Amino acid sequence: MNTELNIERDLLDGLARGERLATEQIYTRHYPTITKWIQNNGGTEPDAADIYQESMLILYEKAQQEEFRLSCKVGTYLFSISKHLWYKRLQQLQKQPGTLADHSGDESRKEWAYEDDISAHKEREAYYTQLNLALEQLGEPCRSLLQAFYHNDKSMQEIAADFGYTNPDNAKTQKYKCLTRLKKIFYGVQAK
Amino acid sequence: MSVDNNIWLSAEAYVAGNMPEAELAALRERLSADAVFAAEFHESVNLIRALDNNGAQKRFSAMLQDISSTRAGKATPARTIPLKAHYWRTGAVAAGIALLTSLTTLWVVQHNNKRIASQYSLLRRDLEKYKRSQNQLITNIQKETTTPAAEASYTGTGFALTNDGYLVTNYHVTEGADSVYIQNAEGKYYKAFVVNYDQQNDVAILKVEDKRFRFGKGEVPYLLAPNKRKIGARVYSLGFPEDAIVYNEGYISSKNGYQGDSMQYKMQIESRPGQSGAPVLDATGNVIAIITGKESESEGTTYAVSSKAVLQLIHTLPKGNNVKLAKANKLGKLTLEQQIERLEQYTCSVSVYKK
Repeated sequence: MNTELNIERDLLDGLARGERLATEQIYTRHYPTITKWIQNNGGTEPDAADIYQESMLILYEKAQQEEFRLSCKVGTYLFSISKHLWYKRLQQLQKQPGTLADHSGDESRKEWAYEDDISAHKEREAYYTQLNLALEQLGEPCRSLLQAFYHNDKSMQEIAADFGYTNPDNAKTQKYKCLTRLKKIFYGVQAK
Repeated sequence: MSVDNNIWLSAEAYVAGNMPEAELAALRERLSADAVFAAEFHESVNLIRALDNNGAQKRFSAMLQDISSTRAGKATPARTIPLKAHYWRTGAVAAGIALLTSLTTLWVVQHNNKRIASQYSLLRRDLEKYKRSQNQLITNIQKETTTPAAEASYTGTGFALTNDGYLVTNYHVTEGADSVYIQNAEGKYYKAFVVNYDQQNDVAILKVEDKRFRFGKGEVPYLLAPNKRKIGARVYSLGFPEDAIVYNEGYISSKNGYQGDSMQYKMQIESRPGQSGAPVLDATGNVIAIITGKESESEGTTYAVSSKAVLQLIHTLPKGNNVKLAKANKLGKLTLEQQIERLEQYTCSVSVYKK
């Protein structure tokens, strides 16, 4: 039992660092139960896969906090998050004027705690969307340069070679210029 | 420009957490002393963090996508095994046996299919019989009764959607009506008209003509359940098979209704003519369905259309109709008797007049 917990913690640590092997193991272990549950509750197979992916992403975000990694039962967490996401999706699908969620059949109040993680996730998504909008407005070569560094995790050497700078330091100076402009656009937009 | 560079350099080091102690201390001092610099610096730090995290999240997403697509692809690895020459004889024998087996199977299956086909038509005839035996629960009122105008007429039951006069009943109650009246809990008649209907699901929405009309004090106390309830759920209904309101109770016996209609429930609850359009509520006072018909061959088997159909119909109403459904269920904490007492105000009998 103890070792089981330890294995899970190690896997979660790996997932938090974005390691493929650990992520794949967690993904595979809980995939069948959760997707089956969604399909049993009126979802199609693509729906189920979609919801599961989003839950994994929320797990990844949450796993960045160390105290969470110490206390988490991965399966339970993923399952509850998926469940909530699916209920939300269902509600959206049958959105009708004046209809409210009916709470009569809802027994487990404590699961509302998961709502916070989901709304934090949604907020973060919205924030990232704004950030990416600002990136789009930046124009070339800044956009590609920043994307190469932050999104594709390229080193300054690689970037210098790809973008035709004489050395990494020049590329770095260019990066800082781009960041300054991005900051103006991003916070300018946010201030509105 | 070099000032800019410096900010970014220290912000990057700060985020990465590899700033030397001395520099960190100097930075802290400057941050507390220089508010303008501090604001600038925090923006930079936040931006770098956001970019970092967004990038990491993007890579993680892409990895998940990759994992899921490789998992999907794993199922079909195509592999061909060359057949060696000396297996040909064995292969030929095996193929012969396989051919024989498949032909036999084919014959057997076809043979069986004929038998199944004859059972199938029998079964269908049975269903036809059921169809004939499903009665719509409308009572014939005799001409002498004291109603506003009287030719041939029917009654059903209706219940309020909004306090200001929108209500629901069955389509078949109002079908072909010249005029529709509702009779409220106090026994008063009000003229109503059909706002919209859904013939397939047998639901109609009516509106009382009198603008001052109100069902009771305050908003409608129940909600319409958007999801179907499970088999075995205890339910009750209130309807007007006679002049006074009548209570019945039972349970959901099947998730699908007449001929497997998924918009309906099949229920074990007593129903009599005149109860068409009566609301079916669960134990906590949510309206889950509307009684539409019964099976005359077996006692107490009633079909009720799910409240989902009503919600759908409300959704299709023209924009001028302002149907504001209740936002809270006020029945949940009441005892059954209290629930019924509240409900009585919002349930009415519907009388239909035809030439």
